[in-house]
Amino acid sequence: MDFDDTPDEAAWRAEVRAFLTAHRDEHAADPRAWQALLYDAGFVGVTWPADAGGRGGTPMQQAIVDQETARLGLPALINLIGIGMCGPTVIVHGSDDQKRRYLKRLLRADDLWCQLFSEPAAGSDLAALRTRAVRDGNGGWRVTGQKVWTTLAHLADYGILLTRTNADVPKHRGLTMFVVDMKAPGVTVRPLRQMNGESHFNEVFFDDVAIPDTERLGEPGQGWTVALTTLMNERLSLGGGGTGVGAKPETVARHVAERIGGLSPDRQVLARQQLGRGYVAALGARYTGYRQLSRISHGELPGPEASAGKLSGTRSARDLADLAVRVLGEDAAVAGGTWQNLQAVLPGMAIAGGSDQVLRNIIGERVLGLPAEPRVDKGAPA
Amino acid sequence: MNFDLDQEHRDLAAAAGEFLSAAASPAAARAALDDGSAIRPGREELVKSGFATITVPESAGGGGGSVLHLAVVAEQAGRVLAGPSLVTYARAAVLLGGDEERLTGLADGTLAVAVIDDGGPVLDAAGAGTFLALRDGDLVGGPGTVTAREPIDATRGLGDVTMAETTTWVRDAGALWRHGERVGRTILAAEGLGAATRILELGTTYAKDRFAFGRPIGSYQAIKHALVDVYVAVEQLRSLVWWAAWAADHAPGELPLASAAAKAAAATTLELAAETVIQVHGGIGFTWEHDAHLYWRRAKVDRFLLGDDVAAFDEVARLAMEEAVR
Repeated sequence: MDFDDTPDEAAWRAEVRAFLTAHRDEHAADPRAWQALLYDAGFVGVTWPADAGGRGGTPMQQAIVDQETARLGLPALINLIGIGMCGPTVIVHGSDDQKRRYLKRLLRADDLWCQLFSEPAAGSDLAALRTRAVRDGNGGWRVTGQKVWTTLAHLADYGILLTRTNADVPKHRGLTMFVVDMKAPGVTVRPLRQMNGESHFNEVFFDDVAIPDTERLGEPGQGWTVALTTLMNERLSLGGGGTGVGAKPETVARHVAERIGGLSPDRQVLARQQLGRGYVAALGARYTGYRQLSRISHGELPGPEASAGKLSGTRSARDLADLAVRVLGEDAAVAGGTWQNLQAVLPGMAIAGGSDQVLRNIIGERVLGLPAEPRVDKGAPA
Repeated sequence: MNFDLDQEHRDLAAAAGEFLSAAASPAAARAALDDGSAIRPGREELVKSGFATITVPESAGGGGGSVLHLAVVAEQAGRVLAGPSLVTYARAAVLLGGDEERLTGLADGTLAVAVIDDGGPVLDAAGAGTFLALRDGDLVGGPGTVTAREPIDATRGLGDVTMAETTTWVRDAGALWRHGERVGRTILAAEGLGAATRILELGTTYAKDRFAFGRPIGSYQAIKHALVDVYVAVEQLRSLVWWAAWAADHAPGELPLASAAAKAAAATTLELAAETVIQVHGGIGFTWEHDAHLYWRRAKVDRFLLGDDVAAFDEVARLAMEEAVR
């Protein structure tokens, strides 16, 4: 057991830190240019193979880039979903032609990408999706349907799109994945406003959108397998185990330390209990994330237990944010500040990327080995 | 970064588990409650095994190991509700540091100690002949009279202790005492980790085997999600225990926060685990014959040892705020 960097890791960290420190002021002007700058320096797509435009590095090297980015308070990359989920799916299931056309441009943020999975009637039960792709008679496909909760769709150039191509077989077996041009005729993007008032995700309508067969990812009917690649990479990209959710516990502690003197003595006691409980939970999530990171650095793929980090990280972030708002005193009941906004963001974090309940099912069934809930639609045609 | 047990730790855990599961058991913990049967493995066997004094230097007949080594053993001890507690040996090894003669007595079993904290009966007072305490900033030691208290968990050997005559062993021992407490909290949390891990296993197994309304109760989300919440808490506790033990060995500056966090998490996690698993078992879960209540008893007692969980959470908050504004 050793928390320190290996010599190789330390050298890499120094290189990353030096570059980010020298260029940190350049991120705000243009998020795409910022990502391109980092790509050209070798800090984007670190784990991607070289023939996919990546660096061919290790997950630990990527984790160090993420840590140093967070340490300097720099924002996540604009094309995060493309890098974390869409690109890896193209790497595994795309044709050589697709890889050549898409991957390097994705890493440089020349093109932005989104992931078109969830639908109004298919969230946790993703395989129940209804967006239909049918052969157009000329070897291509026509897509009609609706996607929802699509982050970045309003800016994206491309998306990976999960569709139903066969409704006569059980739901998991009738799916097919495509790359879709978000600027194609028939694609309509409408922003959705979240409960905190901001708009980061969208609904996307497909009205008889033409997609060439060359944009298929994987075989027809194999869409579920392709989607699992995407979701597995989502877990990989969340290597820290949800510890990045919400504010850092140290930031909350500083905020509370600055305010606690204004509380009555009995309120101070309560505030310390809430801080202590939230802080212990946050530390527990952080150090559990380090254990996952260690396994990744040994070359293991993150298993379903990685879901535990998001589950608990979201919970402790909500408890700490609640305290941060409480100690605002008379400002606690009015909007306007960072903390009031954070408390309106965090309920969504317990749903996005797998709801708490779905994550509990995954851990219960795949880690604890508990039997699955019977599914009444199992084996039935979609 | 390599935050994982090494092979030598795994081998040690396997060896300790083999010894402890033969020498102690929930059945022995129940017998101790029923008719005052001896706590198992008991001082003699535990010392003879060498596991208890793993942190005592080899020159004094100990194992010359680290706090992490002892924590790995303590997890195994917690699984089978072994007594006396490795907390007692961990603290004594710290407090007697440099005193080769007494350390040798600790390692060969001739010195049977308990450590007295202010407020409340003393852990492992049963069977102890020599007591250590902090008086006016000095570490004092000497014999004492033990009045056993009616046990909730007999394996903890709680009793009131009156020390008649004491001699000063170490002057100005405040910092040493606090370090001993923090190492003790770490080992207490490791025993709690083992107990919580084991009771979760019992609950998970039962949820797979027990059928209701035509299917295993573990297939119902009401049961499954409750057990998952325990699993998540247990794995986080494991991380905090390892961190605290590593800090005790390599990063003393992190030990105050890490040991308080581990102590607090152990208290709440073992309680959650025991109460959840009793609920999962239904009727059999709250019978005397089932093991669940023995782990529940451990939870109800351990949360008050070395300061309660409320004090530990308070300490975490104070330390976090101090560090944040530094």
